[in-house]
Amino acid sequence: MNIELTAQQKALQQEVREYMKTVMTPELLEEIKIPEFKEGGGPEFRKQYARMGADGWIGLSWSKALGGKELSHVEQYIFTDEVVRSGFAYPFLTTESTTPVIAANANAEIREEVVGGVKQGKVVIAIGYSEPNAGTDLASLKTKAERDGDDWIINGQKMWTSLANYADYVWLAARTDPDESKKHKGLTMFLVPTNIEGFSLTPVHTLGVRTNATYYSDVRLPDKYRVGEVNEGWKLITGQLNIERLSLFTHGQVDSLYQGVCEWAAETDAPQGGKLIEQPWVQHNLATVKSGLEVVKLICWKQVWAMDQGPLNMADASVAKVYSSEFFVELYRLLLEVMGQAGTIATDSKGAVLKGKLEFRWRVGPVLTFGGGANEVQRDIIAMAGLWMPRTR
Amino acid sequence: MNFTISEEQQSAQQLAQQILSDFTEVDKLKAIEQQQKNFDADLWQALAKAGLLGLDIAEEQGGTGLGFYSLTALCEEIGRTVAPVPIIPVLVSAAGTLRRFASDTQKDQWLPGIANGTTLISAALEEYNNDDPTTPSCSAQKMEGGFAISGTKICISEATSVTRILLSAHTGDELVVALVDPRAAGVTLNPQLVSTGETRHELVMTKVQVPTEDIIATGSEALAAMNWAHQATRTALAAVAVGLCDKMMRITGQYTSEREQFGRPLATFQAVSHRVADCYIDVECLRLVTQQAASLIDEGHPAKDAVQIAKIWCGNAAHRVSQAAQHCHGGTGVDRDYPLFRYCQWARQIELTAGSSAQITGELGQAICAEYLSTTT
Repeated sequence: MNIELTAQQKALQQEVREYMKTVMTPELLEEIKIPEFKEGGGPEFRKQYARMGADGWIGLSWSKALGGKELSHVEQYIFTDEVVRSGFAYPFLTTESTTPVIAANANAEIREEVVGGVKQGKVVIAIGYSEPNAGTDLASLKTKAERDGDDWIINGQKMWTSLANYADYVWLAARTDPDESKKHKGLTMFLVPTNIEGFSLTPVHTLGVRTNATYYSDVRLPDKYRVGEVNEGWKLITGQLNIERLSLFTHGQVDSLYQGVCEWAAETDAPQGGKLIEQPWVQHNLATVKSGLEVVKLICWKQVWAMDQGPLNMADASVAKVYSSEFFVELYRLLLEVMGQAGTIATDSKGAVLKGKLEFRWRVGPVLTFGGGANEVQRDIIAMAGLWMPRTR
Repeated sequence: MNFTISEEQQSAQQLAQQILSDFTEVDKLKAIEQQQKNFDADLWQALAKAGLLGLDIAEEQGGTGLGFYSLTALCEEIGRTVAPVPIIPVLVSAAGTLRRFASDTQKDQWLPGIANGTTLISAALEEYNNDDPTTPSCSAQKMEGGFAISGTKICISEATSVTRILLSAHTGDELVVALVDPRAAGVTLNPQLVSTGETRHELVMTKVQVPTEDIIATGSEALAAMNWAHQATRTALAAVAVGLCDKMMRITGQYTSEREQFGRPLATFQAVSHRVADCYIDVECLRLVTQQAASLIDEGHPAKDAVQIAKIWCGNAAHRVSQAAQHCHGGTGVDRDYPLFRYCQWARQIELTAGSSAQITGELGQAICAEYLSTTT
């Protein structure tokens, strides 16, 4: 039992941290102030993403055959943690979640086109799972793909297709068995190029970020864009969920907020005299954040360590998701309370603290507890897989 | 980074599980509870025979020297079985401190007897409104051939039957760690019934003479000793809480899966299963912070923050899991014929021992303040 990073792991952490400082150029910092480009997609983002590709940082965990470095999950996590901490809108779902699945299941031509493009930092993939009437109950989705000769004809609508406004492909789950009662047994995965005829989108402005509704109207898609076997799509969706979560709930991104608020409170005068951080209620909030953050770190480390040993325990994966998502929301509040009114001042307005990062982060917080598998579903899994309790009704 | 438990540690833990399950059947626990003292001497001897009392005692003194982490694994098993043995005061607070801070002569005098189960030394780390043994209000006065100690310590386990009690006092400008003989002149022991249902003791000392050979450390060494004892004790309490909470959660998962109301098992109500799932999350969080604190202490690395965080989680999780377990059991949970009440009593005792979550959150907050004031300005 040794719960510390090795010297090599610490060196990797430092290397990535320094490298990411060079990625977050002054131009990029300006560009992400534009709401349209906050989540990436601007010209400077494209430039830096391609540079990360050229410098060999994309696909560290992929197999050597794909041009990766076969890093362990622990090392991959150290990389992810630092990249998220830097604030770069690195498309993790593209690089860590969908691309390895595409590499393993797509035909050679598409593998070359998509996997090769991602490796070079030139391709971004949006996720097309949710629909207006298929969210938590994803397997009830209705977007249809019908065979027509060598092609598929796709019709339907997807919701919350984030990044689709600049992505090159949508990783689309569609129903290929017309019998809707087959639910998850009738789904197939496709890659839909976003420049294809019949594809369109409208922006959806959320409490936090911009996302999209995407529409598929008689999209004629060559069969080569099908990934995996027909009606076998479900396992391609679920197989990568744990990896997806590991890039969502990393320690560094919230640890840096905690540190930032600590520094701010140590510099800021309290009205009663002394510094704000000397107030007992401020110390209480900061200590509560710190003791919760420590668990985020340990959960991440334990998960990636376990993934290097073998398949992840289902209940543990759900524990990680529920705890981290709910703690992130709590952390945002505890830190905002320290800032008080100043916490409400948005990015770029006069008096904004930490560049308004927390004013923005609380807005994306609510998504965490239902996105990537609603926490109610995760608690069902914990009760069943962790405690052998009967299925709830 | 490695979360693997070594084979030696695993086999020690399995051995402990085997012995403890034999000794903690409900009838045996009830019989012990009928005794005047809530201490299972036969179980203690069985643990001694199996070498489990010497996990964190060096081989030269008859232990196995596996280390502090292994000892916390034993603590977890004690918690899981609510076994009536004073593992923390004797093996962690007293023996662990002696192993690291006593002279060779003192180690040879006391540790072999602790390892083989013939000697008991307890510890008295707490005073009224003060759980920190580095800042005792008890005083020590230097005198010919030793120190005279005065003051009061509270809630001491096995105070009437142990050979010595390890405690700290101050001379005004320095700290002293001593072994006090509870039979010495000037000692009064007053019984205190505590939440676990056992009788502990208040120790009132009036100029109790402690000879030099029973002085463990003075000055900076004494400070280091009491810092170690404080951190190790808090961590061991968290380890016991891991076992307690894990067991309470499993009892509750099983009970609600079997108990039917409205024609179906309680566990099929999401409101019920989710409350037990929340216990599972708490237990996993508590386990992780406890493992971190224990392994840092085991390796002799700085562990102050990690220990504070572990004890904060210990208090919070012990309270939440205990309350959820009681609630989901309905009346069965509070019935003394059902085993859950023992766990709940221990949970409350541990929560309030060696600093509550609120208090330690305050300590941690002050440390954060000091850290950032020193680096920012």
